[in-house]
Amino acid sequence: MKSKPASIVGQVDVLILFPALLLLAIGLASIYSATLSIPNQSFFERQVIWALMGIAIALVIILSPPRSIYYSAYIWYWLAIAALLIVLIAGKTVGGNAGWLRIGSFGIQPSEFGKVATVMALARFLSDSNTRLNDLRDIGKALGLLLLPWILIALQPDFGTGLVYLIIFIPVMFWAGAEMFLIIFLLSPVIVGILAVIGLYPFLIAAVLLVVVFYLLHRDLGISLFVLVLNLSVGFGTQYFYNALPEYQRERIAVFLDPTRDPLSAGYNVIQSKVAIGSGGWFGKGFLHGTQTQLRFIPEQWTDFIFCVPAEEFGFIGAVLVIVLFLIIITRGFYLASQCDSPFTSILVIGMVSILLAHVFINIGMTLGLLPVIGIPLPLMSYGGSSLLSTMIILGILLHSNLYKHRSE
Amino acid sequence: MQRQDFTIEKKRYRRALVMGLTIALAFILVYKLYDMQVLKGAQYGSQSQRNAIRRVAKDPARGLIFDKDSSIIVNNDISYTLTITPFEFDYQTFGELVRRFNLDSTLVTVRLRHGSRVAEFEPVKVKRDLSYSDIVFLEENKHRFPGVNYMADIKRSYHMKPHMAHLIGYVREISARKLRNDSSGYYRPGDLIGYGGIEGFYEKILRGAKGYSFFTVDARGKVIENFDHGQEDIPSVEGSDLVLTIDLKLQSFVERMLRHHRAAMVAIDPRNGEILCFASSPDFDLKYFTGQTPLRVWKNLIENKDRPFFNRASMAVYPPGSTFKPLIAAAALQEGVITPSTKIYCPGSYTLAGVTFKCHGAHGNITVVRAIEVSCNVFFYKLIFKLGLKEWYRYGSMFHFGRKTGMDISDESPGVLPSHKYYMQRYGKKWNIGYLVNLGIGQGEISVTPLQMAAYTAVIANRGTYYRPHVVRTIIDRNHGGAQPVKIQKERIPIEDDVWDLIHKGMYRAVYSSSGTGGSAALGVVRIAGKTGTAQNVHGRDHAWFIAFAPYKDPQIAVALIVENGGYGGDAAAPLVAAAIRYYLFHDTYTSTHTNAPDSVDAVRDSTQAVTAP
Repeated sequence: MKSKPASIVGQVDVLILFPALLLLAIGLASIYSATLSIPNQSFFERQVIWALMGIAIALVIILSPPRSIYYSAYIWYWLAIAALLIVLIAGKTVGGNAGWLRIGSFGIQPSEFGKVATVMALARFLSDSNTRLNDLRDIGKALGLLLLPWILIALQPDFGTGLVYLIIFIPVMFWAGAEMFLIIFLLSPVIVGILAVIGLYPFLIAAVLLVVVFYLLHRDLGISLFVLVLNLSVGFGTQYFYNALPEYQRERIAVFLDPTRDPLSAGYNVIQSKVAIGSGGWFGKGFLHGTQTQLRFIPEQWTDFIFCVPAEEFGFIGAVLVIVLFLIIITRGFYLASQCDSPFTSILVIGMVSILLAHVFINIGMTLGLLPVIGIPLPLMSYGGSSLLSTMIILGILLHSNLYKHRSE
Repeated sequence: MQRQDFTIEKKRYRRALVMGLTIALAFILVYKLYDMQVLKGAQYGSQSQRNAIRRVAKDPARGLIFDKDSSIIVNNDISYTLTITPFEFDYQTFGELVRRFNLDSTLVTVRLRHGSRVAEFEPVKVKRDLSYSDIVFLEENKHRFPGVNYMADIKRSYHMKPHMAHLIGYVREISARKLRNDSSGYYRPGDLIGYGGIEGFYEKILRGAKGYSFFTVDARGKVIENFDHGQEDIPSVEGSDLVLTIDLKLQSFVERMLRHHRAAMVAIDPRNGEILCFASSPDFDLKYFTGQTPLRVWKNLIENKDRPFFNRASMAVYPPGSTFKPLIAAAALQEGVITPSTKIYCPGSYTLAGVTFKCHGAHGNITVVRAIEVSCNVFFYKLIFKLGLKEWYRYGSMFHFGRKTGMDISDESPGVLPSHKYYMQRYGKKWNIGYLVNLGIGQGEISVTPLQMAAYTAVIANRGTYYRPHVVRTIIDRNHGGAQPVKIQKERIPIEDDVWDLIHKGMYRAVYSSSGTGGSAALGVVRIAGKTGTAQNVHGRDHAWFIAFAPYKDPQIAVALIVENGGYGGDAAAPLVAAAIRYYLFHDTYTSTHTNAPDSVDAVRDSTQAVTAP
């Protein structure tokens, strides 16, 4: 057991560390640019403080003893549940959802940390030698670990973060060794439910196709029929509730699916964001010279729409650089997961990388108009302490896991 | 311990899958970026320019109109227009705004919708001619109505004694239909545009061109600065002023003279085609059309059976009746169909295929001059057969019958000059030579406007030069300061001088010989030549025509007058034309008892009794 700081410095994965630091710098520069024209504010200074705090927390994680995450996983999980309960009861509402805790002059969103803690608990449970992934009772327990925080977040309500919880469950289960058919089984009602909002035929076609795939993978007619019935009930149920909604709520969902419908309210952000990105061209308009950014055409651009800033001011080259840096971290994470001897560390790393992947793809996808605007931040770049701290925790866990990947517990 | 599902192979397989998926997702993002930034970059670029830069139109002042002595007759007054900028507007305040300013909510909604589609940062004009209290209200309550403002605009003001309503035309907000058909894209809802008359014809010259200022704005529409320090601003081009040829005193005199008639009179200077007077009665006062037209006035005008909006001078068409005889005579003489001494016998009627056409008397054996003097129908019935439809049509066309005179007014009818082709289209093979009989005396299918008749009279007066009638003498370019005279367009009509001598003689005798039909037009102070006419009217009493020019030896004015349902032209129309001619030529010395228009024919007769034929 050698864990002297000197040797640790030598073993830190530079392919995760350097892209992360570069993204952090690009993020800070982008926040500086996006908030330059707003008088009397301190977004940039505050984010610098959060970044320093994040680096400190990551360092603490990296320097912590080898198996400390394994042992503390459930503790963090229950702490997160407690925090989520507290915000539900005594939370502060910001931007339409109530998931904020106030600590001094800083606001904290427990749901951001909850993701990390939930993945820890899932990794711990799924790596347990007594857990059987083909046993429905154990799968039910895993699902329970996921759904408990998810329900608390959905109650805030924070649809975007909740969706990320559901999405990361898939790669985690897959990596832990769950059968594909089980994943389809778990996934199909969600897909069918979303398609049911769009129309009758899309969801009917999807329901049938999914069941066909399920049957080809599992070859059990009885369960296949059960899945079909389940999908159909979810689909029709969704349609029934959707049609029972008041007009304005349905309109909101419709805008969600088609942002050009209402260019002056919800969809407005997306249109302006697309104009900002598109007008960047090959090389951009130059740092601090993005007209859309500087004239503040995108409301609160420094939070969820921060990607527009490098895309507008540094063009295609700048935007691709950001994507490539994330891609390096994520693929490096997947590589690391495959190198880990311990199932816990392996599943943990997969979960952490999945959180990053989900955030990056959904966030950039929504600024490009590929995905609906569900208000989730871009890791390392969006303004906001909770998102930045939780990302730094994730990076700390990745770097920590890299140090001890060849030890089994 | 090592679990079954965590073997190296299984982990490698899973890693390949998740990495493949991740790279595919990254590729989607990069491809979308490439599509947006590289392929569609220029498109988004111009969109971002439009987004951040607000264009505000500046309306130039509309050109003014002067009379020929350079005194102003149509001026601009300042007026205030309510505007709404769609981007900033709070629709919650819409109801209150509609109530306070008595807006047409449908119209305003349509305009705002159009505005937010075309240019949501540009103020949309919503209501014109705000009152002083409206302005005060806006100033005091601006903060409650975001995006609502007012702008300085113009409205016309009129400073002439005569109405000249049909001639000047009017200015008002562009209609939805006109806006749709505006291919230039110049106009926005609420913009002013000239309708009818001079305002309509000279719209582009009078209006000038809008200027545009560019401002950089933030997403709240707040103006940050002039874009590029105003270097990109497009200055507006001032409208040009017009100087008219109209003799205001004559116009005023004629309008008052015709006040109680449904009538139209056009007077032209035969030396150059300048319109001296252009009157259609009844008419209306343009001052009611400068701002909000009072409903009562509007209703009265619309419901008036005499149709005051109808421009009889250049839009109404009537058969010319006997006033057309000089044209047929000139054509026949020029073509050698008859000679000055050819005599045609008039027994008092003419029978063709069993149908009898009457003359107003048995004129016996007469020459062409006598035929014009007494307006013998039989002479011309027979003459039209000698001349033939083809030549009749050719000559009529030379005088611009059946086509527009080309006067600089936006509303003009071409009338109808029937040709062989016209009859074939209209009646097929069924039409016959009998249809020609009516044409010989200017009745039947032919129809003409008073303007065409005045232009025709001017050609007779100047012996064969067709000047395009025009009412604008000079265009004053306010931007460059140049006064540009309107080019006089003329066409030579190939009729020889000795023919004109005969026509003039006939028309002179029509007024001054004891057997002439236009005796009631005879003046002593100046010699007039003229021709009466009666337009047959199947709906009621015939319309009375009189055309004339004066002075006989040196024509300075050519006049055409129609009095609807006036009956016989020699009674109803001739004296009024004489009065107008006398007033025009002598208004400086006109005695005070005559400064008012004669209300009855007798008043004119009194002053013309002593005249006998030379």
